Amino acid sequence: MLMAILIVSVLAGLFGLLLGFASIRFKVEGDPIVDQIDQLLPQTQCGQCGFPGCRPYAEAIASGEADINRCPPGGETTVQALADLLGVEPKPLDAEAGEPSDIPMVAVIHEEYCIGCTLCIQACPVDAIVGAPKQMHTVIADECTGCKLCVPACPVDTITMEPIPPTPENWTWPFPDKPYIPITVETAHEQ
Amino acid sequence: MKVEVAYALPDEQFLQEVEVPDGATLKDAILQSGVLEKYPEIDLDSNKVGIFGKLHNLTDALQPNDRVEIYRPLICDPKEVRRQRAKKGKTSAKV
Repeated sequence: MLMAILIVSVLAGLFGLLLGFASIRFKVEGDPIVDQIDQLLPQTQCGQCGFPGCRPYAEAIASGEADINRCPPGGETTVQALADLLGVEPKPLDAEAGEPSDIPMVAVIHEEYCIGCTLCIQACPVDAIVGAPKQMHTVIADECTGCKLCVPACPVDTITMEPIPPTPENWTWPFPDKPYIPITVETAHEQ
Repeated sequence: MKVEVAYALPDEQFLQEVEVPDGATLKDAILQSGVLEKYPEIDLDSNKVGIFGKLHNLTDALQPNDRVEIYRPLICDPKEVRRQRAKKGKTSAKV
């Protein structure tokens, strides 16, 4: 009798210690679902969703404050990926947030008119513009996410969005002209 | 500590991460990055330098993760642009 009580208490103590150790050792910092959502977002930090960046939007989705269809740069692909992750129905993009653009764009500063005012540098959410007061401002094309936030910021209207020229690194096969028809059992027999 | 050195031209941008000792200056990072060899047109006496959009001296000390930027002079004269705009009777380039 005494032996049984002793064994059970020792076991309970052991498991208690184990649980206590595990809760400290494997402590989760922050909400892991926020990280997962954040990874699916395009990291343009453009603010078109109404939140000041991708991470705040991810937090809003996780807490249920925002819908999953407010990311125009991500487009339908991102909505679909978020729907898969969260186990909800995908919805069409919220037109209020803006139109997705098909071609990847990059901001270009036309140097002959740049007055070195730094307003575009302050507008850039990803620090993709090199420049200082009364010095030439230049976009680092690799860092530019194409969010267009610098375009309205420029007082002399010298920033334009240009399509990214194809290079051996970013060129892809063009899509076929004909729409893609998945092969089903019926169509496979016809062929 | 890690810092970056940046020099941007319209078609080509130099962005190089360098590992510098604590207390290193902007000049140390620029010399270490090799940007001067790649772009011989840079003259550290005339090209201004700075960190993240703020002008600094070559002898200023760096903080970890700073981006040392080498700037180029403006092509247009902002005052001249403004004078011409005023002549046209517009207060701003924006319509």
